[in-house]
Amino acid sequence: MKTHTLHVSGTNCSSCKILIENILNEQDFIQNARVDLKEEIVEIETNSDQSPEKLADMLTDKIKSNGYILSVEKTIKEKSVDDVIWKALPIGLGLLVLFFLLQRSGILNLGIGGQTTATTSFIIGLIASVSSCLAIVGGLVLSLSAKISQDKVSDTKTFLLFHTGRIVSFAVLGGVLGAVGSAIGINFTLTAILGLIASLVMLMLGLNLIGVFKKNKIALPSGIFNFFRKIEHKIFTPLILGFATFFLPCGFTQSMQVSALSSGSFVSGMLIMFAFALGTLPMLLLLSFGSASFAHGKHAPLFFKSAGVVVIGLGLFSLLAGLAGLGIINPLFNI
Amino acid sequence: MNKTALSIITSGLIIGVGIIFLGGPISGSETASTEPGQNIEIRDGVQYVTIDAKGGYFPRVSSAQANLPTKLIVKTNGTYDCSAALVIRSVGYQKVLPQTGEEIIDIGTSEAGSSVRGTCSMGMYSFVVDFN
Repeated sequence: MKTHTLHVSGTNCSSCKILIENILNEQDFIQNARVDLKEEIVEIETNSDQSPEKLADMLTDKIKSNGYILSVEKTIKEKSVDDVIWKALPIGLGLLVLFFLLQRSGILNLGIGGQTTATTSFIIGLIASVSSCLAIVGGLVLSLSAKISQDKVSDTKTFLLFHTGRIVSFAVLGGVLGAVGSAIGINFTLTAILGLIASLVMLMLGLNLIGVFKKNKIALPSGIFNFFRKIEHKIFTPLILGFATFFLPCGFTQSMQVSALSSGSFVSGMLIMFAFALGTLPMLLLLSFGSASFAHGKHAPLFFKSAGVVVIGLGLFSLLAGLAGLGIINPLFNI
Repeated sequence: MNKTALSIITSGLIIGVGIIFLGGPISGSETASTEPGQNIEIRDGVQYVTIDAKGGYFPRVSSAQANLPTKLIVKTNGTYDCSAALVIRSVGYQKVLPQTGEEIIDIGTSEAGSSVRGTCSMGMYSFVVDFN
């Protein structure tokens, strides 16, 4: 009879202990198996003469399908995860610096004079998609895309639904604005509150992508989990989210809404908003499908963590700006 | 790359972000900001404060006289960005300004030491008029 202590990885829940112990105890060469979740170790008593390495391999085969791995040495994987965050931090911060420098440079304040036509609103859409609006709309798209890809659900379908929902709602709501000719959807307080909610969601998803929640074993409230499950599995939710982006605070969107409003007819209002949404599409498509392809590549952990850093930065920016916009705090910055 | 190098780059980038947010004007559009008081004009007992709105509000800080009826003139010129969506909470004003034009906003009479602040709807651009 020998006692070995093996390291276990992949244990993120308290029921893992019971599951692993059950499976290991079923093996006939194991007399007793005891899991210590806090230390992430498994103590096994065995009558087998195999080396601990061999035992770890054999037992890993049994529990690998549940996502657990046993090893003699404390897994180097954990160390490499720590290294990943050190690489992800400069990458994420670098992207944030580039983004905010672009905002400060004034390149985006192009003068587009004259009547707002479908062509000009398409160009404005292109500009808007790399402007400060990207902080909130793009940040949200990036965080949701990365999260959805991370959870390995059918991301392509979800993204297509989201972008379709977005473009169709922009066109239809633009048409309604043109036809009704009065202010719907441009109540600033409402959009500001929506913006705050969006930035909180971004912060949370960002922390989640970096792995803060997983590491400290802080579970997200179950309501939020259910919310994401809905996003991932229902057709309706991505469509609704696409629709909701119409109301997110973005100066360009609001200007376009007013243009649609004063355009005077359903068709012209629809054309303006449709062209605008089309202009923002390339950047947003790049964000969602780009993150999907990274997520399935070999640099996935680095991508998720870098995306997490970017999303947290953008989330903080929108949160502080949104609070200032609501008059709750004094503006901390002028970008 | 080793951890030390990466952490040096990281701290450099954090300082970079700090400079972008808290640092002074880089150049360009902001050099056009007027001298103190130049954007203030008093006509027929009404004080007019002119603010340019495009890629932010300029000048960012204006000093006006207290105890005078005051109106803001907000000028837009091909403005599509957030600065077109103006909110002035203290007077309950919120409107998406026309892309090109002038908007006159009555902000009433203010006491010395008070100030009126305007932000864009997303909150990342702002201006303030101090009364003294």
